[in-house]
Amino acid sequence: MPENESTTRDGEPVLKVRHLTTRFRTDLGVVTAVQDISFNVYAGETLGIVGESGCGKTVTSKSIMRLLPEEVTLIDEASRIEFAGLNLASASEKEMRRVRGDRIAMIFQEPMTSLNPVFTIGWQLDEALKYHTKLNHAERRARAIEMLRLVDMPNPEQRIHEYPHQLSGGMRQRVMIAMALVCEPDILIADEPTTALDVTIQAQILSLMNDLKTKLSTAIVLITHDLGVVAQVCDRVIVMYAGRVIESAPVRDLFHHPRHPYTRALLDSIPRAGTAHAGKKLPAIEGIVPSLFELPEGCRFNDRCPHRRTLDEAQRRRCVDVEPDLSEHGADRPVRCHYPLVDVTVKETA
Amino acid sequence: MIRRVLRSRGVRKLRQNRWAMLALGVIGLYVVVALFMLATDAVEGIGQRTGGFTIKDRPVLGMLLVDKTLDRVGPNSVPGFFLRDRPERRLEHHQAYLDAVERALNAKDPEAALAELRFGSLRPADLGPDKLRELVDEGWALFDEVDEIYEQIDEAEGQSPGGDQATAPGAGEGEAPNIADLDAAVSDKIDQIEPIVRALFPIPDGLDGFLYRLKMLLGTDRQGRSILIRTVYSIKIALEVGFVTALLAVLVGSILGAAGAYFGGWVDHVVIWLFSTFSSIPSLVLLTVLAFMFTGSRFDGTLIPLYTAFSLTFWIGPCRVIRGEVLKVKELEYVQAATSIGFGRVYILLRHILPNTAYLMFINFSLLFIGAVKGEVILTFLGLGLKNGASWGIMISQSASEVIEGRFWQISAATAFMFGLVLAFNTLTDALQDAFDPKHVS
Amino acid sequence: MPLLRVKDLVKHFPVRGGVFNRVIKKVHAVNGVSFDVERGEVLGVVGESGCGKSTLGKTIIRLLEPTSGTIQYDGTDISTMRHVELMPFRRRMQIIFQDPYSSLNPRLTVQALLREAIRFHRIVGRSEMDEYIVNLIRKVGLRVDARDKFPHEFSGGQRQRIGIARALALHPEFIVADEPVSALDVSIQAQVLNLMMDLKEEFGLTLLFVSHDLKVIEHFCHRVVVMYLGFIVEVLSSERVHERAQHPYTKALLGANPIDDPDDRRPLTVLQGDVPSPFDPPTGCAFAGRCPIAEERCRHERPVLERKKAGHEVACWLVE
Repeated sequence: MPENESTTRDGEPVLKVRHLTTRFRTDLGVVTAVQDISFNVYAGETLGIVGESGCGKTVTSKSIMRLLPEEVTLIDEASRIEFAGLNLASASEKEMRRVRGDRIAMIFQEPMTSLNPVFTIGWQLDEALKYHTKLNHAERRARAIEMLRLVDMPNPEQRIHEYPHQLSGGMRQRVMIAMALVCEPDILIADEPTTALDVTIQAQILSLMNDLKTKLSTAIVLITHDLGVVAQVCDRVIVMYAGRVIESAPVRDLFHHPRHPYTRALLDSIPRAGTAHAGKKLPAIEGIVPSLFELPEGCRFNDRCPHRRTLDEAQRRRCVDVEPDLSEHGADRPVRCHYPLVDVTVKETA
Repeated sequence: MIRRVLRSRGVRKLRQNRWAMLALGVIGLYVVVALFMLATDAVEGIGQRTGGFTIKDRPVLGMLLVDKTLDRVGPNSVPGFFLRDRPERRLEHHQAYLDAVERALNAKDPEAALAELRFGSLRPADLGPDKLRELVDEGWALFDEVDEIYEQIDEAEGQSPGGDQATAPGAGEGEAPNIADLDAAVSDKIDQIEPIVRALFPIPDGLDGFLYRLKMLLGTDRQGRSILIRTVYSIKIALEVGFVTALLAVLVGSILGAAGAYFGGWVDHVVIWLFSTFSSIPSLVLLTVLAFMFTGSRFDGTLIPLYTAFSLTFWIGPCRVIRGEVLKVKELEYVQAATSIGFGRVYILLRHILPNTAYLMFINFSLLFIGAVKGEVILTFLGLGLKNGASWGIMISQSASEVIEGRFWQISAATAFMFGLVLAFNTLTDALQDAFDPKHVS
Repeated sequence: MPLLRVKDLVKHFPVRGGVFNRVIKKVHAVNGVSFDVERGEVLGVVGESGCGKSTLGKTIIRLLEPTSGTIQYDGTDISTMRHVELMPFRRRMQIIFQDPYSSLNPRLTVQALLREAIRFHRIVGRSEMDEYIVNLIRKVGLRVDARDKFPHEFSGGQRQRIGIARALALHPEFIVADEPVSALDVSIQAQVLNLMMDLKEEFGLTLLFVSHDLKVIEHFCHRVVVMYLGFIVEVLSSERVHERAQHPYTKALLGANPIDDPDDRRPLTVLQGDVPSPFDPPTGCAFAGRCPIAEERCRHERPVLERKKAGHEVACWLVE
């Protein structure tokens, strides 16, 4: 009974990221935050980008929106971010301004700091409309109210006049979503939109996002570290680790048949609801993510990889010396591993 | 332990900042010079107290003693870098030298007078009174000749088109003497006087000569005192004022602020009341009252009025800043952890909270240091500072009359040295903030 | 006898304002909470933000002063003890904090941090200090050379281990773990939870585990206390919580957790509305405003925590 058989991949992707490499100048040298990232985003689908802190998922999304500080950011020349005929990686600031908010919108983790505290939310919604559309005052007001209704905000006519601090966290996130969608963008990038919210509020927002997906046909790029959220909301998933894409798959495939050892280990290490495992130790991944300043020559996950145990000497050598490329393991199923897991079925539900 | 401090992230960041290291170098230079002066002052003090010795006459060691700042090293208002001044001024300078020798020669005991005569480290040549008298007379003769040429210039100017045709003795038609030629003639004559002056006051070889040139390097002020010596001496005053003021202000302010923030309740109310009240007093009113209080008292002319003014006002900044920081830090979890282990409140304040506000104290110290140095200049100008000796404030206020006459050496020297110190401290403050303040955007 | 017995514990925070700094409002963080913790037990306290669970944990170890109520530790009432009398108890009751970035003094090395506490309580003599510290550092899974490093030289997970080392340094019996893994990455959470499990066994600890993450609580704790707006709404054992939960809020909480199985996309339980204000708790049941089955009685009378079955208490009028 899967509800969302998302095979809306008919035709061209709305966004094509190819070989995105973003580096930063720091006082300890130049560091490569994301390396050679490529993926597609299709209309009407929710793409999840999953990974832990430092894996580069936020840098990826901000690179698309070009929201990284100009003075220290270096986007590689070979990077291409194709959207609406432009290459966003090399577009001018003027061109980016026309895209941001209008064609691609972004919502962030902390709604309190993303909303300007000195303006009413009506004003802030209006601002986006004024900049991107040619509607007159009355039309903009109507649209703002319509938007708030769309995000299930009770009493939108009254809320229009309120300030951010008068709203709760969940409400603010709804306002953020409303602001993001007010110009009907093609893509909505949501960077950890529910991480800072309570779980009951998170449920509200996730339900809302699922709703919106069916009502509008906005593509959503959802960045998160919460695999539960990914399982409930996403159609396809990209897993990132230490600046690289290491696996990409449709969501069911990823959860039931993970190919990369990291993905599998991650899935195993999460305490699961259901008590077959209560009180037992969790299969944890040993070690920590490598520092981006000290990346190994070979596979970046190698020193933590539990799969190593099953390999022989020569194979282990290869993992240490050579970083694997992304290779296809089935339709649209790239995996960056020399010896990916084959036909492992995970998740016997308790 | 030092190694640990040097290893800390903030200090490492500071060390990487090249401008900051340069600024530290400059400040270091100033400090070394000031320490040298403090040392020589101390040695002289000991020498005088014990009656054993004095270093006043030592050329290098005694160069920067406080009395030396009042020594005349040359004629009044000599320009620096040995530049040639205007002819009238050069005449004045040469005249000063000649007058000095003449006065000595006319004294009751010429030998003794000549022996005591000094211009900085210059002494009259050891040629005996007669030869000296000869030279002086030669000099005066040349002066007379110059006067004649000036008369001619006056005539020539009187005859120039548009001028009156009042007095024109001698040839009035055609043969108008060229003013430029006459000016050149004056210069020539003055050039002739120079060697005479040089002969009277030869520049010695070696160290003494070098020191003489050094003292004249930035010229002299209206009383013939070496601007360089006075400027350099002022470094000591500035650093003293800056250091003492900043240190006391930061200490007092921090203690009050920290106590108020940490203990809260009535302690905090008292502290807030204190800094609110003191900061509401208009500074002009405060200074006027202080000026009134101190004029004529036995503290007039010392640094006491200065310190009083500063200590009433400078502690407020650090107090507010440290109070704010302590309010923040005391809510952090590592402070709660210390509480949960059972440490007493005072221990936590001293060992856990204050060290984490130390960087702010350094930044404030730096800022107040500069404030005090600049404040000294301003207050001296207003009559509240030192009256004797040398300080940048004294130099700048005394140069007011010089500037009107177009003589900028004293004010430029004082300002330049002060600028160097202040710029170095400003750079350092900025660098400290970059390195240590986690919220600061560099 | 339970190791910890909390009875009618209340914690209100006065909010001062106005011209004379009077108390104008109060934050009702903890409103009359009672429960026991048995020796060797891991008791979970779960709830969303603003439910008072962190405040509860901190009040129990006297980091905050209780407004009223009693805290009995090992038979002794420590709720109003003065600083000096409290000292031996401080040694026995420790805390692990949530934020690895602000829970360690940035100016102290690991060694200095541990030594300070150990020396204060005279846990070991000077000669054994070094060895004791080295042992402690190893026990929490760090390398020995960590002792001369500063907190900023460690990752989040490693800092949390240092926090655990600090809590264990005094050889306590009881530890309040205030969201110890919430700020950590997913793969590190498992490591730290495993570590805590091991240490609990080895040191024979009793834990009060505060968290908003039900999955972690279920996995790690024997019993669970569910809080809402400063009130306890349910207490039950963590076994088969999904089936046995009775209070509507607990059920909503369980239902709101996204299940990490893409094939099981049942609609999440969505509670309408927001948490009421802690300044002004409603007169009736705190949850009445959002409760899907609330009745008139719920809005006027506050339900009492009652024992429904062995080891299962619920505060709801509509549960038998």
